[in-house]
Amino acid sequence: MKKIQHLMLGMLLLVAFTSCAAPIKNAKTESFKVAGNCEMCKKTIETAANKKGISAAEWNKDSKILTLQYNAEKTSSDEVLKRIAYSGYDNEKFLAPDDAYAKLAGCCKYDRMKKEVAVKEPVTKVENTTESAQEQAAETSLLEKVYTAYFALKDALVKDNGVEASAKSNNLVKAIKAVDMSKMSAAEHTVWMKVEKDLLEHAGKIGETKDLENQRKHFSLLSKGMYDLVKVFKADQTMYLQHCPMYNDGAGADWLSLENAVKNPYYGSSMLTCGKTTETIK
Amino acid sequence: MKRIVLVIGMIWMQLLAFGQKNVRYDLYIRDTTVNFTGKERHAYSVNGSIPMPELHFTEGDTAEIWIHNELDTETSIHWHGLILPNEQDGVPYLTTAPIKAGKTHLYKFPIVQNGTYWYHSHTGLQEQGGMYGAFIIHKRDEKPMQEYTLILSDWTDMKPEQVHRRLHMANDWSAIKKASVQKGAVQSYGDAILSGRLKTKLGNEWKRMLAMDVSDVYYNTFLSNGKPEIQAPKFKAGDKVRIRIINGSSSTYFWMRWSGGKMDVIASDGSDVVPVAVDRFIIAVSETYDVVVTIPSDSTAFELQATSEDRIRSTSLWLGDGVKQLVSPLQPLKYFEGMQMMNDMIRMNGNLDDMGMNMSLQQMDMNVVMYPEITGALPKKNKKHNHMDMTNGDQYKSNDLSDIVTLNYNMLRSPVKTTLPDVKTTVYQFELTGNMNRYVWSINNKTVSEADKILIRKGENVRIILYNNSMMRHPMHLHGHFFRVVNGAGDYSPLKNVLDIMPMETDTIEFAATESGDWFFHCHILYHMMSGMGRIFTYENSPPNPQLPNPEKALKKLYADDREFHFMFQNDFATNGNDGEMMYMNTRWNLQAEWRLGYDKMMGWETETHVGRYIGKMQWLYPYVGFDYRYRKMEMGETERNLFGQVNTKDQRAALCFGIQYTLPMLVIADFRIDTDGKLRLQLMREDIPLTKRLRLGLMYNSDFEYMGSLKYVLNQSFSLSAHYDSDMGFGGGFTFTY
Repeated sequence: MKKIQHLMLGMLLLVAFTSCAAPIKNAKTESFKVAGNCEMCKKTIETAANKKGISAAEWNKDSKILTLQYNAEKTSSDEVLKRIAYSGYDNEKFLAPDDAYAKLAGCCKYDRMKKEVAVKEPVTKVENTTESAQEQAAETSLLEKVYTAYFALKDALVKDNGVEASAKSNNLVKAIKAVDMSKMSAAEHTVWMKVEKDLLEHAGKIGETKDLENQRKHFSLLSKGMYDLVKVFKADQTMYLQHCPMYNDGAGADWLSLENAVKNPYYGSSMLTCGKTTETIK
Repeated sequence: MKRIVLVIGMIWMQLLAFGQKNVRYDLYIRDTTVNFTGKERHAYSVNGSIPMPELHFTEGDTAEIWIHNELDTETSIHWHGLILPNEQDGVPYLTTAPIKAGKTHLYKFPIVQNGTYWYHSHTGLQEQGGMYGAFIIHKRDEKPMQEYTLILSDWTDMKPEQVHRRLHMANDWSAIKKASVQKGAVQSYGDAILSGRLKTKLGNEWKRMLAMDVSDVYYNTFLSNGKPEIQAPKFKAGDKVRIRIINGSSSTYFWMRWSGGKMDVIASDGSDVVPVAVDRFIIAVSETYDVVVTIPSDSTAFELQATSEDRIRSTSLWLGDGVKQLVSPLQPLKYFEGMQMMNDMIRMNGNLDDMGMNMSLQQMDMNVVMYPEITGALPKKNKKHNHMDMTNGDQYKSNDLSDIVTLNYNMLRSPVKTTLPDVKTTVYQFELTGNMNRYVWSINNKTVSEADKILIRKGENVRIILYNNSMMRHPMHLHGHFFRVVNGAGDYSPLKNVLDIMPMETDTIEFAATESGDWFFHCHILYHMMSGMGRIFTYENSPPNPQLPNPEKALKKLYADDREFHFMFQNDFATNGNDGEMMYMNTRWNLQAEWRLGYDKMMGWETETHVGRYIGKMQWLYPYVGFDYRYRKMEMGETERNLFGQVNTKDQRAALCFGIQYTLPMLVIADFRIDTDGKLRLQLMREDIPLTKRLRLGLMYNSDFEYMGSLKYVLNQSFSLSAHYDSDMGFGGGFTFTY
């Protein structure tokens, strides 16, 4: 009976032992400097470094030190650090590829360890099919000024500048009021009549306050109307409909942008590149 | 006295200026053992190194190169891209005497050009084993510039002869090895179902294609100057470095990318081009490119990475010293996208159809559909394949699809006019043809030995219009001449000696016939060349070649390369009997033997032997004559009746037979035959259906109401576990040995 108990205990211990951490054989421990900013960085760095039974790493956000334990017969610290660099993080042995760094979330965009480029690359002209300028010279949209004012408002929100947002929004109100309805087609007119009131209301509300939270709430509603407009009125430039999934407790919100790169107006600097492009409007 | 010294000094200076210098090198070729992967393997070393030593000359020198063959086999050295007298070209039996074992051979020729070239063995498969090296010719008045020579190569632990033999067997071991590095390379039915591309896979096999791949051979490692990685720490911030890149591999194209910004391409195949800045370029087998890069900063080593076209592995040169600035790895190919593209482009008769897109000069790379960095990552869920707008091919123009600038031949422009003299021009149409399944490669469906030499006349121009009707790209190389690659630069079309031509492309090259003798024009993928993809240009009224006293006999030796027979053998050692086959085949002929050997009389013994010839470009038709022997003890009163109502009651049967095999869609082989007893048989068979990475299914049914189903699990290149059910022999399990 005792024997069985012992056996059971032994097995239990074994299970407990194997389940908590795969032990690393021929373990060697070293520390390296790895760049990074936040908790999200920590997760990415450690995921890149860890390989079950072969390497395990812990990165300290404050000291920027990675403590790496690895099986010296199966891998090398270079191999692990290379993986970390491929995931976007500069370290003392490898610098991340530029495209990997570019893909990091806004909060993770640490100051690179890279040396300043000493010389400018002499770039020889490459024939690239550039869209002709003629296309841009085509008649400007009726709503050109509305769009411009909207994007200025958006940029102010991106910069977390409530005062500027208020001023830009007042410009938007003026632009909306100045639109010449007589030049609109029937379809354009219908949409315009539908959204004009809302646009004026929300733009006005943003103009009245300097409180960013309040401004952003109205901006989300304003953006809905703007999207309806953009769908019907031809814009001069390509626009991107972008989406922040987190805003309003996960209900999400959209905005329009002239650039494909995400700069979130709902959270500004705290989560600048959160979000994604959901539609390209040409 | 002083005066005399001065005069002598001046004469000497002048000699230097004219470069009337004899530059001598001695090369000792030896067998050696290398260890790139943890396994010791045979290789060839020259003066103790792989690659062969880097040779430097100045335009105007006379090269005097002594080759000391210390191997116990013959060898040869070809000077790739050099303009030289025919007997110095180094193609054994065609232009130059082979260098027999233990002998020394002198190559001596004037250096009349400048640029980046290379040299390699032109004997058998020796090039794969390490016989390649850089041949650099400096300009006479070259401005001093920092430079670095990088020769790339591919290494396999398998003997090159085995690689070649297995390619002819359509064995997919190479794909299995690739799949162990990178998932999905086998493109099995399992892979297809998991990625929602079953229809694509079925479509592909319906059109009688095997799995999609951009290269045939699995390589264990790729080498930069003979090492997996090399460092060049001497370069500092601001240095402009000319990198002379040579692709000395046997069958690997490389993507070249640099982590320090753009690269200025300044020369191709040794001849200068107007500098063009690119983010990346592909270097075809045997091409050379010179690029200038600027080292952006100190205390950093910047990576110049060469990734094999199949993206399985890469090799790197690090320029500068310090922390390493990486290039992102190229993401795996989207194989099923490529497969769908091929399905769209191939007609039922096996010919390719460019849908009127007039593809040329690498501008439309059909493979972009497989490049995640250009056409985006794979969608998470399978979207319906949207039928592309096939009218203009814009969807394949890599440079329009992304910000990444990829070099193509239309971006190359010579700094000087390259127009040919205004004389008679003879035009040749070359259709590049091939059969992937049997690994037959040819031009106009004829191999080197099957075609006549092409007679050309000194003083005239030769224009070749190439159309690639095969499913792989081919680096076509012309010996002893530069040709113009006719492109948008018109009079300034670039000069090259290698033309990479992608499937479905049509390209025009032309050259002035200014030499004499025999010159080889061939695909530089070693295994394609050895299979016969080439032609010989012969100048009319050439003087006899002193190195080849018996040219006809010599030519037969050259022809032997693509006439070579390959042997394969397979036997399933199972509990219910032995089941196997054997083949001995070359470009057109195949001697096949099949057997089913039971362990007792009731199971019987059965063999069939055929000799036949493959007909047509696609080689789907195979008429044969053969001999059958069968012994099977029948139960009393048992008769066998077939689908055609014919009856057999005999235990023992021996008969001659005549038949034809035809490859049907889905790669099913239909075999219809009649024997001297008047018996007919129709059989349908499909082997090696890839269910998963290693699991293969085989099915057979015939009009004698015999049937068979088998499953094989591939363990390694020689052994598989097998299980099968056979109507004669019942269930069985065992293992299959494949040679």
